[in-house]
Amino acid sequence: MPDAVQVAQPRVEQRRRRMRIRLSGGLVRGAVSVLAAGALWEIAGRTFLNNPLFFAPLSAVLDKMGELWASGDLQVDIAVSFEEFIIGFILASIAGIGIGVVMASSKALCQYIDPWVSMLYATPFVAVAPLLVLWLGIGLAAHVAVVFIVVVFPVLINTYSGLANSDRDLIEVARSFGADQIQIFSKIRFPGALPFIVAGLRQGVARGLVGVVVAELFGSHAGLGYLILISGQEFDAAGLFVGILLFALAGIGVVEIVRVIERRIAPWRAQDGRS
Amino acid sequence: MTTAVMPSGDAKLEVRNLGKSYMKDDRGIEVLRDVCFSIADGEFVSIVGASGCGKTTLLRLLDGLIPPSSGAIYLDGRPIEGPGYGRALVFQQDRLLPWRNVLSNVGFGPEIQRRNGKAERERAARYVDLVGLRGFERHYPHELSGGMRQRVNLARALNAEPEVLLLDEPFASLDAQTREIMQAELLRITAEAKKTAIFVTHQIDEAVYLSDRVLVFTVRPGRLKEEVKIDLPRPRQLAVKRTPEFVSYTDHIWQLIEQEVREAIGLEAREAAALHA
Repeated sequence: MPDAVQVAQPRVEQRRRRMRIRLSGGLVRGAVSVLAAGALWEIAGRTFLNNPLFFAPLSAVLDKMGELWASGDLQVDIAVSFEEFIIGFILASIAGIGIGVVMASSKALCQYIDPWVSMLYATPFVAVAPLLVLWLGIGLAAHVAVVFIVVVFPVLINTYSGLANSDRDLIEVARSFGADQIQIFSKIRFPGALPFIVAGLRQGVARGLVGVVVAELFGSHAGLGYLILISGQEFDAAGLFVGILLFALAGIGVVEIVRVIERRIAPWRAQDGRS
Repeated sequence: MTTAVMPSGDAKLEVRNLGKSYMKDDRGIEVLRDVCFSIADGEFVSIVGASGCGKTTLLRLLDGLIPPSSGAIYLDGRPIEGPGYGRALVFQQDRLLPWRNVLSNVGFGPEIQRRNGKAERERAARYVDLVGLRGFERHYPHELSGGMRQRVNLARALNAEPEVLLLDEPFASLDAQTREIMQAELLRITAEAKKTAIFVTHQIDEAVYLSDRVLVFTVRPGRLKEEVKIDLPRPRQLAVKRTPEFVSYTDHIWQLIEQEVREAIGLEAREAAALHA
């Protein structure tokens, strides 16, 4: 009898192995690409873009980074920006998921909330940032508020659409076993929406990082956005690039963390997605 | 071989004057009309008929997922008012929860009933074993073949400890060889687990091979056309399918259905014409 069973086992193993190989091949090519870009940057900075007012070779940027680190300023800037981002992101995630759940569970409430979501989501948040700084002053509260506003909408909208597109067939399975509404939500609809929610969080990460920079550009005493602002005003290209580079690294780091989470909670989806 | 209603009392499941209609595009559609039959404890009964005879609707009524328009269904003499007690449905598509591994999918029924003890976990593992998937407890549905997923689907229903197992063309999407193996497996499993089973299919040989009785339905509105008792010895090997007795059963049922199929095709054509008019 278990012929089919024994045949399938190696197939699964094989697929896993193939995925690992593809992954490491991709890693090597990615590293080659980054190194080549770094070399190009260095060469460009030393030859035809050799003007410290507008551009700086990679080595000068790294020197500047070391300098800022030694003075202790860089650690403060990173800590300030990180704090603003993480507080805003966590609050926005909780609110976004919460409101999304509320909208998905009541049609009437959804109709009350929907116009506001559409309107606020479409508003360019850069327009709101100065207002928040005006209301909340220069500092943590205003910056957290900006991050919150830009993160909450993608999380909310993805949570809602994930829940709104629940698999009817799976809901019927739960009903067939005698599940009540709460069980249908907690055991079918919410787990089914998780991949959507994580996708929303991933969009939120990217937007939240932009939010930090923009918020700090509109007024701050410290932070990586502040570093960019001051360096720009002082025509210090190397300092500018330190800020930009650190934001880029932070973006890659956080997106990678979210992707690991995604693969853990939705392995059946991560497999057909990007590896 | 005529339509007969068993006297109530000793029946496990009794269907009395069951009818179902619903509205579609502002037109009333009568799917089932005045269906009566009963099923004894431990009996394996198949329901066959041309497509559109309301087989799946009947199964959903028996499971309690939808309410009947008229008539009633009794399990152990008690009327069925909703899903849950005493029945479990094996779905046509496997409908496994993709975020749960095999063991956790099989444990879904008891979990919904808020029974999560050690005994439940052990029983789930026993059913995984019974359907031949030992060693695959931690695998996810996307890592399994179609046949293996249907085994999980079956184990999930069995693990809800139903007295009546309802099966909706569970092997329809499998290839011919896998289907034969799964039929033999189903016979072994229902015999071992001592279950009453109602099996919906449009494969006549599958129905004859598995069943004690085959109920042949007419096209819409679906009614019981004839019931055919299958007197083949048990346990049945796959080789029974090549015996003259087996072939005469399938021929007889095919003749009953052929006329219905022709009518069903005519019905579809008339409906399409009405839609375009």
